[in-house]
Amino acid sequence: MIEVRLHGRGGQGAVTANEILAEAAYYEGKYAQAIPMYGTERRGAPVTAYLRLDEVRVRERDLVHEPDIVVVLDPAIAQRPAILEGLKEGGLVIANYPHPPELYPLGGNFMVSTVDATAIALETLKRPITNTAILGAFSKVTGLVKVESIEKAILHRFPGPLGEMNVNAVRRAYERTPMPIQARGEVRKDEEGPLSGSGYGLIRSAAGWRTFRPVWDLDKCTGCRICWIFCPDNAIGWAEEKPTVDYRKCKGCGICVNECPTKAIEFKREGI
Amino acid sequence: MEHKSFEVMTGNKACAWGVKLSRVQVASIYPVTPQTTIGEYIAEFIANGELKCELVNAEGELATQAIVKAASRVGARTFVCTSGPGQLYMHHPMHGTSSGRLPVVMATVHRGNKGMQPDHTDLMSQLWTGWIQWYCENNQEVLDSVIMAYRTAEDKRVRLPIAIGYDGYILSYTSEPVEIPDQASVDEFLPPYEPIPNILPDKWAEAQRGRGAGMMEGFMSGGGDPQAAWRIHHEAILNSKEVIKEVNEEFGKRFGRKYGNGLVEEYRTDDAEAVVVAMGTIASTARVAIDRMRSEGKPVGLVKLKTFVPFPTEDFQELGKRVRAIGMIDRNVCLGLGGAGFGELRRALYDLDERPKVLGFYAGLAGAEVRVRDIEKMAEKTLKAARGEKVDPIVEWAKLGGGG
Ligand code: SF4
Ligand code: SF4
Repeated sequence: MIEVRLHGRGGQGAVTANEILAEAAYYEGKYAQAIPMYGTERRGAPVTAYLRLDEVRVRERDLVHEPDIVVVLDPAIAQRPAILEGLKEGGLVIANYPHPPELYPLGGNFMVSTVDATAIALETLKRPITNTAILGAFSKVTGLVKVESIEKAILHRFPGPLGEMNVNAVRRAYERTPMPIQARGEVRKDEEGPLSGSGYGLIRSAAGWRTFRPVWDLDKCTGCRICWIFCPDNAIGWAEEKPTVDYRKCKGCGICVNECPTKAIEFKREGI
Repeated sequence: MEHKSFEVMTGNKACAWGVKLSRVQVASIYPVTPQTTIGEYIAEFIANGELKCELVNAEGELATQAIVKAASRVGARTFVCTSGPGQLYMHHPMHGTSSGRLPVVMATVHRGNKGMQPDHTDLMSQLWTGWIQWYCENNQEVLDSVIMAYRTAEDKRVRLPIAIGYDGYILSYTSEPVEIPDQASVDEFLPPYEPIPNILPDKWAEAQRGRGAGMMEGFMSGGGDPQAAWRIHHEAILNSKEVIKEVNEEFGKRFGRKYGNGLVEEYRTDDAEAVVVAMGTIASTARVAIDRMRSEGKPVGLVKLKTFVPFPTEDFQELGKRVRAIGMIDRNVCLGLGGAGFGELRRALYDLDERPKVLGFYAGLAGAEVRVRDIEKMAEKTLKAARGEKVDPIVEWAKLGGGG
């Protein structure tokens, strides 16, 4: 039995990626079990999913604690040592990370391969939904599931142009993903604690959730308060008739950017 | 794997497939996590023209139950589903449905009553409502159980509603391959539903004549005995065991899968000195634990308890003569009384001349994760008791979450 753990954020499609992998594996005669674990169920919040692949029906109904493979859909989460928890000795990490595996910042006894799935998603889907691109990398690096099966599963789930765009993302990632190397980064502890906690806890900071950050041009702002009303996370404050922003609370949803009638808010990609 | 018609699907989709294959005519659903997507899948089947069904949006679970009760009375095959708090809100009309001996089928996608996470307290809270209760361990069993439930509930010897429980999140959102039986075979297995009495206008006169006779005896006429309504209802549930077994056998013959004898399934109980009893998904994980212990030569087995109401008293009495100790794993607690399974099991075994020891374990409440090694520990303790060692306490809150 092969056990996989996926890390992502709400909105990146980790749960969908997991289901597509299960279906693709099933086309190849494998028995697959795809378990999602929901936390706060908000766009941007860390999400964990688990996959088991076997030749016979999987009976275990607990979560995966000692994965053979860890897949990370988010470049910020990919840098957190917490993703390595329980990873088998000599296991494999496949990370959405904008630099080659030689520069991957985490170290230990594991193999790693990286792909800039965010860039591929922006090229093909025009959105930072990285789930399908990372599947191309998974197929290339593990050989566990053929890329054709992944494409078939995607088209089954998203028929038409949306499916085609995603298939494109899979293919590009498949081409661009290098074979894994021994991890060379730093061995260190995670300061922020475990990733896969579920439940409705208090979130200390949503800053790490963002792919983009809203940036205000107050000269264009008329002070209409629309952004302040619409922000779902109370990240926008008010001072001297103009909006202020608390980037610890801002999860980067882009609603303010969309709603601003004078286009005073620009959405800029966060740097890694 | 043999390729018949399979699809990788969640437990909630498997449930919706069961509804579709059973050609349900009226469904009423109010959204509550984690059952909500069942309604979405049913709506999709209807929108695609794959299912002819009236899906009634209601203002709450009390209304959904009242709606399917009425629809069932006039002769529609009906479905309703809920979770956790929704199940509690439905309590009152559930009595009406069962007292009217209406074969409504309900899915309860477990969510405990102390939070969002799964345990069996939602459906266990309905033990007094006069419904048959089944518990499932995987998505295939969810789909199959829906079909078997209509066949059982609508059998003229039964005419009772059936609740099918399955663990929220653990099954509701987990995807795995499920075999989809073909429609023609399901149609043969499950003939159309005929209401008793038929109260449609053209049948009404006949229905009036039928009052007080046959299965409506007692709770329509009273027959002079004010207790008759309870007695007849109680006996009807007890008598459903034979039909449950029969339907399970026939399902097995036709579709190549069955679930023990329909009431319980014994797993590796041959020569077992001790067995654990588990329900729902814990039974699935327990199979792995039992396999591990058997490979170490430990004589332990598993009984999966599928039908909780009516309780398989006879099966456990027979088992009780073969084993020295039984460990009941309860994913529920009746506050101030104890685990529902533990209490029932002891009741069932009390009259044996030589009884096995019965231990109790609370595990998996409020979504607590139950791992293979957790179950191994419970089975170890039960085996100790079987071998005459003193175990203390007899009933415990299992310490969960050890590594491995
Ligand atoms: S992107 Fe805008 S609307 Fe969204 S959380 Fe940040 S400030 Fe609020
Ligand atoms: S919506 Fe735009 S114009 Fe209105 S207050 Fe916000 S930034 Fe200013």
